[in-house]
Amino acid sequence: MQWSNPLTWWQWSVLATVPPAIVLLYFLRLRRAPQEVPSTYLWLKSIEDLHVNSLWQRLRRSLLLFLQLLLVGLLALALLGPSWRASTLHGGRYVFLIDTSASMAATDVSPTRLDEAKRRVAALIDEMDSGDVAMIVSFADQARVEQPFTDNHYELERRLKAIEQTSHRTSIVEALNVAAGLAGATRTGIDADPGNGERPAAQPRAQMFIFSDGKFADAPKATLAGVEPILQTVTGDEPRNVAITQFDARRQENARDAWQVFARLENFSVAPLPVQLELYVDDELADAQQVNVAVDKPTGVAFDLPDTETARLELRAKTGDHLAVDDRAWAVIDPPRRAKVVVVSKTPNEPLEFALSTESGQQLAETTYQSAAWLETPDYRSTAAAGQFDLCIFDRCQPPEMPQANTLFLGALPPETTGWKVEAVADVPQIIDTDRAHPLMQLLELGDVLVREATPLVPPPGGTVLMHSSAGPLLAIAPRQSYEDAVLAFPIFDDAQVPTNWPLRLSFPLFVLNALEYLGGRGLDVASRETIRPGDAVVLEQVRTAREIDVKNPLSKQVRVDRADAARPKYDATDQLGVYEVLADGKLAERFSVNLFDSAESDIRPRAQAAVKLGQAEIQEGQATGVSRRYAWKYLLLVTLVVLLGEWYTYHRRVSW
Amino acid sequence: MATAPQPLLSPELLARLERLELVSRKIFRGRMKGDRRSPRKGQSIEFADFRQYVPGDDLRFLDWNLYARLDRLFLKMFLEEEDLHLFLVVDASRSMNFGTPTKLEYAKQLAAALGFIGLVRSDRVKVEVLGAPAASQAPAFRGRASLWRLLDHLAAIEPTGETDLTEGMKHFCLRNPGQGIVILLSDLLDKRGFEDGLRYLAARPVDAYVIQVLSAEELDPPLTGDLMLVDSEDGDKADVTVSAHLLKRYRKTLDTFLSSARDYCHRRGMTYLLATNQVPCDTLITGYLRSRGLVR
Repeated sequence: MQWSNPLTWWQWSVLATVPPAIVLLYFLRLRRAPQEVPSTYLWLKSIEDLHVNSLWQRLRRSLLLFLQLLLVGLLALALLGPSWRASTLHGGRYVFLIDTSASMAATDVSPTRLDEAKRRVAALIDEMDSGDVAMIVSFADQARVEQPFTDNHYELERRLKAIEQTSHRTSIVEALNVAAGLAGATRTGIDADPGNGERPAAQPRAQMFIFSDGKFADAPKATLAGVEPILQTVTGDEPRNVAITQFDARRQENARDAWQVFARLENFSVAPLPVQLELYVDDELADAQQVNVAVDKPTGVAFDLPDTETARLELRAKTGDHLAVDDRAWAVIDPPRRAKVVVVSKTPNEPLEFALSTESGQQLAETTYQSAAWLETPDYRSTAAAGQFDLCIFDRCQPPEMPQANTLFLGALPPETTGWKVEAVADVPQIIDTDRAHPLMQLLELGDVLVREATPLVPPPGGTVLMHSSAGPLLAIAPRQSYEDAVLAFPIFDDAQVPTNWPLRLSFPLFVLNALEYLGGRGLDVASRETIRPGDAVVLEQVRTAREIDVKNPLSKQVRVDRADAARPKYDATDQLGVYEVLADGKLAERFSVNLFDSAESDIRPRAQAAVKLGQAEIQEGQATGVSRRYAWKYLLLVTLVVLLGEWYTYHRRVSW
Repeated sequence: MATAPQPLLSPELLARLERLELVSRKIFRGRMKGDRRSPRKGQSIEFADFRQYVPGDDLRFLDWNLYARLDRLFLKMFLEEEDLHLFLVVDASRSMNFGTPTKLEYAKQLAAALGFIGLVRSDRVKVEVLGAPAASQAPAFRGRASLWRLLDHLAAIEPTGETDLTEGMKHFCLRNPGQGIVILLSDLLDKRGFEDGLRYLAARPVDAYVIQVLSAEELDPPLTGDLMLVDSEDGDKADVTVSAHLLKRYRKTLDTFLSSARDYCHRRGMTYLLATNQVPCDTLITGYLRSRGLVR
């Protein structure tokens, strides 16, 4: 507290005479007017018991005097100019970037990091001078302008309060670009070209406060023109967190009639933590395990489940840590769906049809057969473009354009646009090696397969060779957009001659089944579905032919999916963690789970490096505010006014006695 | 506050009062013949009883008819009609000199009216001023002709200093040992209390009336602000700041005071009446006093 002295000594002396003058006037005023009454008998009786507490009575009697002295005292105090050191913002234009990513839900700062960040921003808004403008941008993996530049404190605080926690990952680049873009633009339409040809005044650089726990990567490519970034880290002292970073259900390798559920746990704390894991199947506790998770060492946990057609799995980790959002994970087991397969043959391919017609083949796929001439019809173009098939097998024929599906070419090549090439024809190539790790080649023994002649393949970039021979690759697979194309370098069957003895070997129907499972069923099995994280768009493959698609989110809110892209309907409102149900024409068709599964988000420990590289500059943890003086005279005058009102009331109501 | 003197009784009031008479709940022995029945047998025309003749009796009252029939002497007895003693005790202390009209004026008016009723009915009316020396006390008045002397005497009463109600009543009782009706006209505002004074009255075989005269200013004081109240009798001072709260307390104290006076009187067989100077005198007599049974 400091005092300034705006008055000279003689002014103070004049002021000092005021209180004695008031006391004097008060006593003069208190010369009571004599009033003769018949008898003071009754009056004395009336005031008799009031005299019992005479000191208080005297005080009460002098209430007006006290109020007047207090009034003068307060005025003198206000004149002394008391002030204290206070922080204040300086700059005039501010951008508040608030991280709403999953890690901001950590409770190592009470109540949460996000709430603490909001509290700090609210404090800064309070410190803004009138005329200062500010903008609020929230960001997780995407930036969102909550409030464009305004000087309306109330509006800023209202929008600030409305910011909600998300479960998304952190990506600051977009937020930086948005903030810098908006801050660099003219402040408002009023500030723009006034119309008389004068250029608007250059805007001062805006101060950009980044409120985050710092769990984002450096953003060297971000543009920071027009803003001056100040980092404000919101982390607690000793954050503890154990996260489920993977959760998956697969059929057991050696026993296909049972499921194995895997989970991976990571500990982002300073000490090992015991974790109790509970596995729920369709909301009923099925299994539990106690695991001790070491720091920075991922720990795997496996549960065995009996065979089931369908199940909704949930893993809960009882950790007592600071971040709850990664303590639960979900997965679904859906009944396998029969893949839609079309076989386009130059001539009927008996061995292939035989392999497809096995019991297993029929369980896996619903096969239709077409001749090569079908490829030229508009029907092919429409069905191929609509992606009605999961797998197209082209037997010794080439389609004019690739379908929206996985493909398997037998003795033929995809169109040139796909980048597949062949080398010169080689006679009797010897199969040397196969990639047994690839699902397409699992359990295949090809040592006894003979090939009459083949055209060794040159797969496009990204392709994988699955079968090596003495002449070159005989089987390869390559990605195309979101599909995959597998090409076999020799035909299986020919009307004129026997090109290979493979159809006679056990490995051929196995290969066909593998192809049906892998190429035909990609995306159908829970194991093959990629991890979906909050905010990711999900392609609803299985319901693409349905007329109406609805998605029920984990909060049981049903949303109709817009069929703008008829071939590949997408759903992107995956903000909630949990299991989503896809309804095709009102019937449950598919389920998928959304999980955090992000080690970077789950690692709520403070950044290792204090500095963050944003744009060309390295940003240190910054001081938010400057030092200024706050003067108390306004408040003192307010109190004085209240005292004055009290005096007025006392005088008129005679609140004495 | 003293006001310009005005006639104590207006002709209209006199005309109305002439029809009234004082009522005593007890029958007292008078000193002279009057209009009232006396416990003594006397010489009125109303027959009361017979008794045996004893030597010395007035032969005029012998019943000669009975003597003729029975040959025995009986004396006829007649109801005696005597006068009534009406004592009007007026408190003339300085505290009575307040109000419009002043309480003393009001009390004098009341005394004049009651005295007039008494005089008309041939009662003995005596006006006593509380605290005044015996020498200055007026003699008893009797007969209608004494009205003007009574009025003159009342008009001459001036407020004088402090009055001790107890002492005043004591002297009154010593000076007037007789029976009759005693009407005390006072504000009872004595710091030593009214109880002792009234006790003297209660001890006497009289029909006692206590009329407490208060001014409207005492019942509802029109005072505000910081005041130094000065007692009109003893000059005692009280600093008060008159607020709504204090006024509320004053009224409560006044109510307690009035009810204690009333209860005290009732318990001792005295009739109590509160009169404010705002109630016209004739209303008080023809209304309140009539309902209390003092006049009819």
